[in-house]
Amino acid sequence: MSTILEDIETQIAGLRTSTTKSNVGVVRDTGDGVARIEGLSDVMLNEMIEFSAGVYGLALNLEETEVGAILLGDMTAVKEGDEARTTGKLLQVPVGKALLGRVVNALGQPLDGKGPIKSEAAYPVEKIAPGVIKRKAVNQPVQTGIMAIDAMIPIGRGQRELIIGDRATGKSAVALDTIISQARLNRAAEEGRLKDHRPLYCIYVAIGQKNSNVARAVSVLEANGAMPYTTIVSAPASETATNQYLAPFAGAAMGEWFMDNGMDALIIYDDLSKHAVAYRQVSLVLKRPSGREAYPGDVFYLHSRLLERSARVTEEAGGGSVTALPIIETQAGDVSAYIPTNVISITDGQIYLETDLFYQGVRPAISVGLSVSRVGSAAQIKAIKQVAGKIKLDLAQFRELAAFAQFGSDLDAATKARLDRGQRIVELFKQTQFNPIPVEEQVAVLWAMQNGYLDSVPVEKVKQFQVKLQDYLRTRRESILNSIVSKKTIDKELETELAAALDEFKSTSPV
Amino acid sequence: MKVNKESRRLARELIRASFTDGQLDSGRVATLVKSLTDKKPRNYLNALGEYQRLLRLEVEKRTATIESASELSPDVARTTVDSLKSKYGPDLTTKFVVNPELLGGMRIRVGSDVWDSSVRNRLQRLQQQL
Repeated sequence: MSTILEDIETQIAGLRTSTTKSNVGVVRDTGDGVARIEGLSDVMLNEMIEFSAGVYGLALNLEETEVGAILLGDMTAVKEGDEARTTGKLLQVPVGKALLGRVVNALGQPLDGKGPIKSEAAYPVEKIAPGVIKRKAVNQPVQTGIMAIDAMIPIGRGQRELIIGDRATGKSAVALDTIISQARLNRAAEEGRLKDHRPLYCIYVAIGQKNSNVARAVSVLEANGAMPYTTIVSAPASETATNQYLAPFAGAAMGEWFMDNGMDALIIYDDLSKHAVAYRQVSLVLKRPSGREAYPGDVFYLHSRLLERSARVTEEAGGGSVTALPIIETQAGDVSAYIPTNVISITDGQIYLETDLFYQGVRPAISVGLSVSRVGSAAQIKAIKQVAGKIKLDLAQFRELAAFAQFGSDLDAATKARLDRGQRIVELFKQTQFNPIPVEEQVAVLWAMQNGYLDSVPVEKVKQFQVKLQDYLRTRRESILNSIVSKKTIDKELETELAAALDEFKSTSPV
Repeated sequence: MKVNKESRRLARELIRASFTDGQLDSGRVATLVKSLTDKKPRNYLNALGEYQRLLRLEVEKRTATIESASELSPDVARTTVDSLKSKYGPDLTTKFVVNPELLGGMRIRVGSDVWDSSVRNRLQRLQQQL
């Protein structure tokens, strides 16, 4: 008790002679989560403003005699005539490992009822992206566990790969699969089963989504044991447009902490079309001039400055990385709309999901022709490059010839072989949800395909063959999988071992 | 009240014309207002309203409002005014207000700058810190 009294006394003594200088203004009007304030002559852009009701705001518009601020928190508490003062601080969110396993809002406050977050640091929400000197080439892979992506559209740590597609084509599913795959790899590394693996922590930013969707994502991640490596930043549709606008930036700040401390992070922005819509709303109520489709002029800068913050940095700058997987929802497959073209041009490639493929049963519905990865191939391990090199070409040729497939019997042998190969590759790339495949198993399966072990298998039994082969390798030939992981390349010795294993498997398997 | 672009531009021109040698000239303000009300250009009422708002802000920038819990002694008042004038220039006008809610001390506001040494402010800060 006495220490508390002493503490209060020293604090009173500290306050006794002090005069505080502050810069104040008066709220002239407020509504729609925005306040216009007269005065505040010394306010800085993006500075926090404290209102007399205890609510904070963020100064976004600095005009001749007025300041336009967005309100964070209870906007009904701010009234006309209230005093507002500058704080000299930028908006910050808590960062660090304490956030892993938590669901937070755009300001980093917990939403999951698991008590307060004991974070050791806070980062500003808006931060300038690392410059040229600090950056390093992307050369480490992000294993998504989705065979089509890992083989043909590889993603590297520090890359920005867009996931684009119509509604209900499995965009979020690709992202969640990636998170689950990371969690499995992280756990394997913790248990010593995987050497030289740098853990990849995931941040899932849900913007403008239904609360039920977020709850489902949380339960899926919990069921698959991925939550301990994941932070969810949630700004659902019921949140203010202000918080939806801030959420991805808060997520980026949380990711940057990992990057600065030599760790790797993966951020999923689900989705940026809704983010652009939230920003449009904020801009319109702030009376900023509107441009195409009523989006403000700086909507490109909004996304470019956000995505530019993902990078791989040098050892001197921390040595970590932030990988971004932004998601964009298109309307009726129109990738040439305003926001999709913007984000396509910012990112280092895109994974395009097609409705038609989805309903043909090709899931994940990745359109191989339209999907690219501009930097990821440098990050692929050599083994997968060896087996996947020809697949894109095979599939492209298959698509060109697919129209002739209906003339089955009248085709020449070469065309028929290409069609058969293509159909089998398409079958192989089908994958059930929340079931990532480890990279060594992908290599073995693709090697079998490349070397004609699947040619005799009927197309409809390819999937069955693959599942059994994976099972066989896992249970009976673990040494082969282990040596793929350790060697990272397929040499002569491994090739003979694989051939022997496959011959044995084919002779025993009923498929 | 919605102020359109032309009224705002007119009000801005008026406020620019209201200064002589960097100081607000009440004579010119009166002439400007009179000529505006005589000529009655389009939307002149809106423009006048906006002009009044800008003038109020200009006047506030050059007015120090000195609030205290009780009436200040002439000595204290004089030294306060002197030090304020040395900081903001001799054309600063001062206004004394008694506000018992401050509990003690003084609160001075010039434009949007506020110096607060009142007991109320200290208590609020203490409350925040605890």
